[in-house]
Amino acid sequence: MESRDRYRIALLSAYALALHGFEALIPSPVPWLRLGLSNIITLVTLFFYGLKPALMVTMIRVLLGSLLLGTFLGPAFFLSLGGGLAGTLSMGIITALFPRVFSMMGVSMIGAFFHNVAQLVIAYVLFVQRIEGILAVAPFLIAAGTLTGAVNGVASRYLINEIQKQHSPALSPTEPI
Amino acid sequence: MRLNSSGSTKTTFADKLVLLFFIALSLSSFFFVNEVLPQGSEVRIEVAGELKYTLPLSDDRIISVEGPMGTTIIEVKNKRVRVVKSPCPNKICLHQDWIERGAVVCLPNKVLVTITGPQQKKEIDGITG
Repeated sequence: MESRDRYRIALLSAYALALHGFEALIPSPVPWLRLGLSNIITLVTLFFYGLKPALMVTMIRVLLGSLLLGTFLGPAFFLSLGGGLAGTLSMGIITALFPRVFSMMGVSMIGAFFHNVAQLVIAYVLFVQRIEGILAVAPFLIAAGTLTGAVNGVASRYLINEIQKQHSPALSPTEPI
Repeated sequence: MRLNSSGSTKTTFADKLVLLFFIALSLSSFFFVNEVLPQGSEVRIEVAGELKYTLPLSDDRIISVEGPMGTTIIEVKNKRVRVVKSPCPNKICLHQDWIERGAVVCLPNKVLVTITGPQQKKEIDGITG
Protein backbone atom coordinates (compact mmCIF):
# COMPACT_ATOMS: atom_id res chain seq x y z
CA MET A 1 0.00 0.00 0.00
CA GLU A 2 1.35 3.39 -0.97
CA SER A 3 1.74 6.07 1.66
CA ARG A 4 -0.63 8.23 -0.35
CA ASP A 5 -3.31 5.53 0.05
CA ARG A 6 -2.59 5.25 3.77
CA TYR A 7 -3.06 8.98 4.05
CA ARG A 8 -6.36 8.78 2.21
CA ILE A 9 -7.61 5.91 4.37
CA ALA A 10 -6.77 7.95 7.47
CA LEU A 11 -8.67 10.90 5.99
CA LEU A 12 -11.68 8.75 5.07
CA SER A 13 -11.66 7.21 8.55
CA ALA A 14 -11.71 10.69 10.03
CA TYR A 15 -14.73 11.60 7.87
CA ALA A 16 -16.49 8.38 8.90
CA LEU A 17 -15.70 9.07 12.55
CA ALA A 18 -17.04 12.62 12.29
CA LEU A 19 -20.32 11.36 10.78
CA HIS A 20 -20.48 8.60 13.41
CA GLY A 21 -20.09 11.16 16.21
CA PHE A 22 -22.52 13.58 14.56
CA GLU A 23 -25.12 10.83 14.28
CA ALA A 24 -24.83 10.05 17.98
CA LEU A 25 -25.92 13.65 18.66
CA ILE A 26 -29.12 13.42 16.59
CA PRO A 27 -32.12 12.71 18.82
CA SER A 28 -34.08 9.80 17.42
CA PRO A 29 -37.70 8.89 18.16
CA VAL A 30 -36.72 5.21 18.15
CA PRO A 31 -33.20 4.83 19.55
CA TRP A 32 -32.36 1.53 17.86
CA LEU A 33 -32.98 3.20 14.53
CA ARG A 34 -29.58 4.45 13.42
CA LEU A 35 -29.08 6.33 10.19
CA GLY A 36 -25.70 4.74 9.52
CA LEU A 37 -24.34 7.93 7.97
CA SER A 38 -20.74 6.75 8.32
CA ASN A 39 -21.63 3.99 5.87
CA ILE A 40 -21.58 6.68 3.16
CA ILE A 41 -17.82 6.90 3.71
CA THR A 42 -17.48 3.10 3.75
CA LEU A 43 -19.25 2.99 0.38
CA VAL A 44 -16.99 5.67 -1.09
CA THR A 45 -13.90 3.81 0.19
CA LEU A 46 -15.22 0.55 -1.24
CA PHE A 47 -15.86 2.20 -4.60
CA PHE A 48 -12.42 3.78 -4.98
CA TYR A 49 -10.15 1.40 -3.04
CA GLY A 50 -11.88 -1.94 -2.61
CA LEU A 51 -12.78 -4.21 0.28
CA LYS A 52 -9.61 -4.17 2.40
CA PRO A 53 -9.38 -0.38 2.82
CA ALA A 54 -13.17 -0.26 3.39
CA LEU A 55 -12.78 -2.81 6.20
CA MET A 56 -9.93 -0.74 7.65
CA VAL A 57 -12.04 2.42 7.60
CA THR A 58 -14.92 0.56 9.27
CA MET A 59 -12.68 -0.92 11.98
CA ILE A 60 -11.01 2.43 12.72
CA ARG A 61 -14.40 4.14 12.85
CA VAL A 62 -15.90 1.52 15.22
CA LEU A 63 -12.87 1.41 17.54
CA LEU A 64 -12.25 5.16 17.77
CA GLY A 65 -15.99 5.92 17.75
CA SER A 66 -16.55 3.67 20.75
CA LEU A 67 -13.61 5.23 22.57
CA LEU A 68 -14.92 8.74 21.88
CA LEU A 69 -18.51 7.92 22.83
CA GLY A 70 -17.52 5.81 25.84
CA THR A 71 -19.07 2.57 24.63
CA PHE A 72 -15.80 0.64 24.17
CA LEU A 73 -16.29 -3.08 25.03
CA GLY A 74 -19.92 -2.41 26.03
CA PRO A 75 -22.93 -4.07 24.36
CA ALA A 76 -23.18 -1.27 21.80
CA PHE A 77 -19.53 -1.77 20.84
CA PHE A 78 -19.93 -5.46 19.98
CA LEU A 79 -23.13 -4.75 18.07
CA SER A 80 -21.42 -1.94 16.19
CA LEU A 81 -18.31 -4.03 15.45
CA GLY A 82 -20.20 -7.10 14.25
CA GLY A 83 -22.66 -5.04 12.24
CA GLY A 84 -19.89 -2.97 10.66
CA LEU A 85 -17.82 -6.00 9.69
CA ALA A 86 -20.79 -7.94 8.30
CA GLY A 87 -22.10 -4.93 6.40
CA THR A 88 -18.74 -4.02 4.86
CA LEU A 89 -17.86 -7.65 4.03
CA SER A 90 -21.23 -8.25 2.35
CA MET A 91 -20.91 -5.05 0.33
CA GLY A 92 -17.35 -5.94 -0.70
CA ILE A 93 -18.37 -9.44 -1.75
CA ILE A 94 -21.38 -8.15 -3.70
CA THR A 95 -19.32 -5.59 -5.61
CA ALA A 96 -16.60 -8.18 -6.32
CA LEU A 97 -19.02 -10.90 -7.46
CA PHE A 98 -21.35 -8.66 -9.47
CA PRO A 99 -19.42 -5.62 -10.64
CA ARG A 100 -21.66 -2.96 -12.20
CA VAL A 101 -24.86 -4.95 -11.58
CA PHE A 102 -25.80 -2.79 -8.61
CA SER A 103 -25.25 0.90 -8.07
CA MET A 104 -24.05 1.99 -4.64
CA MET A 105 -27.72 2.28 -3.67
CA GLY A 106 -28.29 -1.47 -4.08
CA VAL A 107 -24.94 -2.30 -2.49
CA SER A 108 -25.80 -0.08 0.47
CA MET A 109 -29.21 -1.73 1.00
CA ILE A 110 -27.60 -5.18 0.96
CA GLY A 111 -24.95 -3.97 3.40
CA ALA A 112 -27.62 -2.52 5.72
CA PHE A 113 -29.48 -5.84 5.67
CA PHE A 114 -26.44 -7.91 6.65
CA HIS A 115 -25.46 -5.26 9.20
CA ASN A 116 -28.84 -5.69 10.88
CA VAL A 117 -28.82 -9.49 10.62
CA ALA A 118 -25.38 -9.62 12.24
CA GLN A 119 -26.53 -7.31 15.02
CA LEU A 120 -29.60 -9.46 15.70
CA VAL A 121 -27.45 -12.61 15.81
CA ILE A 122 -24.91 -10.96 18.14
CA ALA A 123 -27.70 -9.62 20.37
CA TYR A 124 -29.15 -13.12 20.51
CA VAL A 125 -25.87 -14.94 21.21
CA LEU A 126 -24.31 -12.47 23.64
CA PHE A 127 -27.15 -10.68 25.39
CA VAL A 128 -30.66 -12.04 24.91
CA GLN A 129 -31.04 -15.78 24.70
CA ARG A 130 -34.67 -15.38 23.72
CA ILE A 131 -35.71 -15.69 20.12
CA GLU A 132 -39.02 -13.86 20.74
CA GLY A 133 -37.30 -10.57 21.50
CA ILE A 134 -35.11 -10.86 18.42
CA LEU A 135 -38.01 -11.78 16.15
CA ALA A 136 -40.11 -8.91 17.43
CA VAL A 137 -37.64 -6.23 16.27
CA ALA A 138 -36.36 -7.98 13.13
CA PRO A 139 -39.04 -6.76 10.67
CA PHE A 140 -38.68 -3.15 11.83
CA LEU A 141 -34.91 -3.33 11.55
CA ILE A 142 -35.08 -4.80 8.03
CA ALA A 143 -37.55 -2.12 6.91
CA ALA A 144 -35.58 0.72 8.52
CA GLY A 145 -32.29 -0.66 7.17
CA THR A 146 -33.67 -0.77 3.63
CA LEU A 147 -34.78 2.87 3.87
CA THR A 148 -31.60 4.26 5.45
CA GLY A 149 -29.47 1.99 3.24
CA ALA A 150 -31.10 3.37 0.09
CA VAL A 151 -30.71 7.00 1.25
CA ASN A 152 -27.06 6.49 2.24
CA GLY A 153 -26.38 4.71 -1.04
CA VAL A 154 -27.78 7.62 -3.07
CA ALA A 155 -25.78 10.07 -0.92
CA SER A 156 -22.60 8.10 -1.58
CA ARG A 157 -23.31 8.19 -5.33
CA TYR A 158 -23.43 11.98 -5.26
CA LEU A 159 -20.19 12.04 -3.28
CA ILE A 160 -18.51 9.60 -5.68
CA ASN A 161 -19.64 11.73 -8.65
CA GLU A 162 -18.23 14.87 -7.07
CA ILE A 163 -14.90 13.23 -6.25
CA GLN A 164 -14.58 11.86 -9.79
CA LYS A 165 -15.40 15.25 -11.28
CA GLN A 166 -12.70 16.90 -9.21
CA HIS A 167 -9.98 14.33 -9.64
CA SER A 168 -10.38 13.09 -13.20
CA PRO A 169 -12.47 15.35 -15.41
CA ALA A 170 -11.90 12.99 -18.31
CA LEU A 171 -13.82 10.23 -16.54
CA SER A 172 -17.07 12.11 -16.13
CA PRO A 173 -18.96 13.18 -19.23
CA THR A 174 -20.62 16.53 -18.81
CA GLU A 175 -24.08 15.89 -20.23
CA PRO A 176 -26.68 15.94 -17.47
CA ILE A 177 -29.39 13.30 -17.31
CA MET B 1 -26.82 13.58 -11.63
CA ARG B 2 -24.35 12.77 -14.31
CA LEU B 3 -23.74 9.67 -16.33
CA ASN B 4 -20.72 7.81 -15.18
CA SER B 5 -18.48 5.42 -17.01
CA SER B 6 -18.24 3.12 -14.00
CA GLY B 7 -21.97 2.49 -14.00
CA SER B 8 -22.14 2.60 -10.22
CA THR B 9 -23.72 6.00 -9.90
CA LYS B 10 -27.04 5.38 -11.60
CA THR B 11 -29.92 3.31 -10.23
CA THR B 12 -29.88 -0.03 -12.00
CA PHE B 13 -32.60 -2.61 -12.55
CA ALA B 14 -30.89 -4.81 -9.94
CA ASP B 15 -31.12 -1.95 -7.43
CA LYS B 16 -34.88 -1.81 -7.90
CA LEU B 17 -35.11 -5.58 -7.51
CA VAL B 18 -33.12 -5.38 -4.25
CA LEU B 19 -35.39 -2.59 -3.00
CA LEU B 20 -38.55 -4.56 -3.85
CA PHE B 21 -37.10 -7.72 -2.34
CA PHE B 22 -36.29 -6.07 0.99
CA ILE B 23 -39.66 -4.31 1.16
CA ALA B 24 -41.37 -7.66 0.53
CA LEU B 25 -39.09 -9.35 3.07
CA SER B 26 -39.80 -6.82 5.82
CA LEU B 27 -43.56 -6.93 5.19
CA SER B 28 -43.71 -10.72 5.12
CA SER B 29 -41.44 -11.05 8.16
CA PHE B 30 -43.71 -8.61 9.99
CA PHE B 31 -46.74 -10.84 9.35
CA PHE B 32 -44.72 -13.98 10.05
CA VAL B 33 -43.57 -12.65 13.44
CA ASN B 34 -47.13 -11.63 14.29
CA GLU B 35 -48.21 -15.21 13.62
CA VAL B 36 -45.36 -16.80 15.54
CA LEU B 37 -45.56 -14.55 18.59
CA PRO B 38 -48.96 -15.25 20.09
CA GLN B 39 -50.52 -13.26 22.86
CA GLY B 40 -49.33 -14.77 26.10
CA SER B 41 -50.78 -14.82 29.53
CA GLU B 42 -47.68 -14.68 31.68
CA VAL B 43 -45.05 -12.00 32.27
CA ARG B 44 -41.53 -13.23 32.90
CA ILE B 45 -38.92 -10.82 34.20
CA GLU B 46 -35.29 -11.87 33.92
CA VAL B 47 -32.20 -10.02 35.10
CA ALA B 48 -28.79 -11.10 33.78
CA GLY B 49 -30.29 -14.36 32.49
CA GLU B 50 -31.84 -15.23 35.85
CA LEU B 51 -35.61 -15.50 36.18
CA LYS B 52 -36.75 -13.08 38.88
CA TYR B 53 -40.53 -12.95 38.52
CA THR B 54 -43.31 -14.82 36.78
CA LEU B 55 -46.56 -12.89 36.98
CA PRO B 56 -50.00 -13.26 35.45
CA LEU B 57 -50.60 -10.70 32.72
CA SER B 58 -54.11 -10.07 34.03
CA ASP B 59 -52.99 -8.59 37.37
CA ASP B 60 -52.17 -4.89 37.30
CA ARG B 61 -49.06 -4.12 39.29
CA ILE B 62 -45.72 -2.33 39.35
CA ILE B 63 -42.48 -4.20 39.95
CA SER B 64 -38.95 -2.94 40.38
CA VAL B 65 -35.88 -5.10 39.70
CA GLU B 66 -32.20 -4.44 40.34
CA GLY B 67 -29.83 -4.73 37.38
CA PRO B 68 -26.11 -3.98 37.14
CA MET B 69 -26.83 -0.30 36.42
CA GLY B 70 -29.64 0.26 38.92
CA THR B 71 -33.38 -0.10 39.32
CA THR B 72 -35.70 -0.84 36.41
CA ILE B 73 -39.40 -0.30 37.08
CA ILE B 74 -41.86 -2.41 35.10
CA GLU B 75 -45.62 -1.86 34.97
CA VAL B 76 -48.29 -4.45 34.14
CA LYS B 77 -51.68 -2.94 33.34
CA ASN B 78 -54.70 -3.90 31.21
CA LYS B 79 -52.93 -7.04 29.95
CA ARG B 80 -50.04 -4.96 28.72
CA VAL B 81 -46.49 -4.44 29.98
CA ARG B 82 -44.08 -1.54 29.78
CA VAL B 83 -40.87 -0.34 31.33
CA VAL B 84 -41.62 2.80 33.33
CA LYS B 85 -38.15 3.72 34.51
CA SER B 86 -34.70 2.51 33.56
CA PRO B 87 -31.17 3.64 34.40
CA CYS B 88 -29.85 2.74 30.96
CA PRO B 89 -28.39 5.56 28.81
CA ASN B 90 -30.28 4.91 25.57
CA LYS B 91 -33.81 4.25 26.97
CA ILE B 92 -34.67 1.83 24.17
CA CYS B 93 -36.82 -0.15 26.61
CA LEU B 94 -38.80 2.96 27.56
CA HIS B 95 -39.46 3.87 23.95
CA GLN B 96 -40.93 0.46 23.24
CA ASP B 97 -43.78 1.56 25.51
CA TRP B 98 -46.72 -0.83 26.05
CA ILE B 99 -46.41 -4.32 24.60
CA GLU B 100 -49.04 -7.02 24.44
CA ARG B 101 -46.78 -9.73 23.13
CA GLY B 102 -43.10 -10.42 22.52
CA ALA B 103 -40.54 -8.83 24.76
CA VAL B 104 -38.97 -5.67 26.10
CA VAL B 105 -35.22 -5.85 26.38
CA CYS B 106 -32.87 -3.51 28.19
CA LEU B 107 -29.36 -4.55 27.23
CA PRO B 108 -27.36 -2.15 29.44
CA ASN B 109 -29.25 -3.12 32.61
CA LYS B 110 -29.61 -6.78 31.47
CA VAL B 111 -33.35 -6.75 32.07
CA LEU B 112 -35.57 -8.92 29.89
CA VAL B 113 -39.36 -8.81 30.11
CA THR B 114 -41.21 -11.38 28.03
CA ILE B 115 -44.87 -12.20 27.67
CA THR B 116 -45.33 -15.95 27.38
CA GLY B 117 -48.00 -18.43 28.23
CA PRO B 118 -49.51 -21.82 27.62
CA GLN B 119 -51.02 -20.57 24.35
CA GLN B 120 -47.58 -20.44 22.83
CA LYS B 121 -46.97 -24.19 23.15
CA LYS B 122 -50.35 -24.94 21.60
CA GLU B 123 -49.60 -22.75 18.64
CA ILE B 124 -46.29 -24.44 17.91
CA ASP B 125 -47.89 -27.90 18.21
CA GLY B 126 -50.60 -26.73 15.87
CA ILE B 127 -48.03 -25.77 13.24
CA THR B 128 -45.91 -28.91 13.49
CA GLY B 129 -48.94 -31.20 13.74
